[in-house]
Amino acid sequence: MYFFLRRLGFYLAAFVVACTFNFLLPRMMPGDPVQIMFAQSGSTLGPEAMDALRATFGFVEGPIWQQYLIYLKSVFNWDLGLSVSFYPFSVNDVIGTALPWTLLLVGLSTLISFSLGSLLGIYAAWRRGGLFDSIVSPLALVMQSIPAVVLSILALFVFAVMLGWFPVGRAYGLDHDPAWSFAFVASVAHHAVLPLITLITVQVGGFLVTIRNNMINLLGEDYINMGRAKGLGDTAVMFRYGARNALLPSVTSFAMAFGFIVAGSLITEVIFNYPGLGRLLFNGINARDYPLIQGLLLIITVATLAANFIADLVYVVLDPRLRRS
Amino acid sequence: MSILISILRQNWKARLGVLIVLGFVLLAIFGPWFAEFAPERRVGLPHQPPDGSHWLGTTRMGQDVFSQFVHGARTSLAVGFGAGFIVAALGTLIGVVAGYFRGKVDEFLTFLTNVALVIPNLPLLLVLAAFIGSASPLVIMLIIGFTSWSWGARVIRAQTLALRDREFVHAAELLGEPRWRIIGVEILPNLVSIVGINFIGSVIYAVLTQATIEYLGLGNPLDVSWGIMLYNAQNSAALYVGAWWEVLAPCVAIALLGAGLALLNFAIDEMANPRLRTYRLNRRVRQRMAALSGKEVSA
Repeated sequence: MYFFLRRLGFYLAAFVVACTFNFLLPRMMPGDPVQIMFAQSGSTLGPEAMDALRATFGFVEGPIWQQYLIYLKSVFNWDLGLSVSFYPFSVNDVIGTALPWTLLLVGLSTLISFSLGSLLGIYAAWRRGGLFDSIVSPLALVMQSIPAVVLSILALFVFAVMLGWFPVGRAYGLDHDPAWSFAFVASVAHHAVLPLITLITVQVGGFLVTIRNNMINLLGEDYINMGRAKGLGDTAVMFRYGARNALLPSVTSFAMAFGFIVAGSLITEVIFNYPGLGRLLFNGINARDYPLIQGLLLIITVATLAANFIADLVYVVLDPRLRRS
Repeated sequence: MSILISILRQNWKARLGVLIVLGFVLLAIFGPWFAEFAPERRVGLPHQPPDGSHWLGTTRMGQDVFSQFVHGARTSLAVGFGAGFIVAALGTLIGVVAGYFRGKVDEFLTFLTNVALVIPNLPLLLVLAAFIGSASPLVIMLIIGFTSWSWGARVIRAQTLALRDREFVHAAELLGEPRWRIIGVEILPNLVSIVGINFIGSVIYAVLTQATIEYLGLGNPLDVSWGIMLYNAQNSAALYVGAWWEVLAPCVAIALLGAGLALLNFAIDEMANPRLRTYRLNRRVRQRMAALSGKEVSA
């Protein structure tokens, strides 16, 4: 229990740091922060809306710590202000419509690439030095270092533009209305294939190499020999003795990799014109919609912190030593 | 030096990695002398396919893709290696200090590292770049360098903690060696492979991140770099009108450079950790081991 409270406290502190960053950034830039943040908004927003927006970000009369407290208060009430480019919608509304699409992409691609990468990595470590290992492992490493930008552009060009197998953008066809019908779900699946394959290709290598290297280090341990000596079969030793322990560092590195996964998803969405958070961030940047950009940074931070917390929980389930202490 | 040569002879990943990276470095240094057109000038018709005078074709604006490619190599490599150096230096400094001094210093630095680790890096960079506006390569290098050190710091701290209780460090302390000398002479040499891996990993990350930032339109569109090439190609819808040459050159370059650096890292990892070295045993040894264990041994 103490462990969880400590972790929660840490994540809270990390969140406050991200908020502080958001608070200080416009104030550190040369020139008038109000001018920088809301230069685009004067024409679209009315004076009352402008005042509300200023208050949300703590641009009020008074010393800086007071401004800071006002800003923190609005963040913890989850009031992220009004979107300048999507006025009159609030940042919350705009993010709410985009979030499910990103969750779909990030969730599915992470699940698939974690399982696939771990399985292949376990097998590569088990047969280390063999044909499979000496082809797949370096290949995984090379694939991991190809950025999502490049892979997405190439996939889009070859499979969508040249071959025409998949649509070149959007999350579902224009002729479908969002509903739980077969046609709509099929359309969503068809549109998600290319972004998903791209993301899985980018991620799978990292998981594969991590677990392979962990596993190779473990396979020299005595308890592995012990398992064999007891006469257990290959699969039992491989999964119950080797893989279960090799997974532990993978869970930690998964938490660390989550930021990269989100980053990859953001960029993939932009290239495939997929209506998730990445696409929204891109639009926000182009429109200089600073409240939206800052809100997105906060929500992505919260998502990352939540993923890390889940990784902590999984770790406790996997490692009985932590439960006892 | 002879060790390096023998490593290169034994390890094909190191060989290929060095070849690719060295090729790009040479291209960045000498390439611009062989590119006859100025990269930002209009020197031909828009979207001309590759031919004898424009080796990689022209852009929508009629600029020579090959010149942009080799001049861009300079910018991209400079940002990559510069940011990689800052990241590695900061990570090593923070990691070693935290691991060596322990106590309050460690608690503070570890907290800082963990916070920097869980705040997603790319969105943070995008917000920073958006506020700065038309970020130049130098600015991009600095913001990547100063926000991406946490992973290295964490790994290096763990390694320093392990080294700190070894006999040779205690011996140096008992001899009354000054702290800076213990860190510099006793501990740092044992961290070389980890720092090296961190450096190369950071260079990969910086090259990719620069391309991403610029592709999203946060760079200065008048600069010449691979990311800006991608941005301009996107803006002119090069792929949709079939001008694949405008996109392919920077894409292949970024992917190839990343692959070369990754192979180099794989090789360093194998050198530092002998267990990861997986040479095939010769046939006689394999047969004997098979006879001993009663099973076929593939490793």
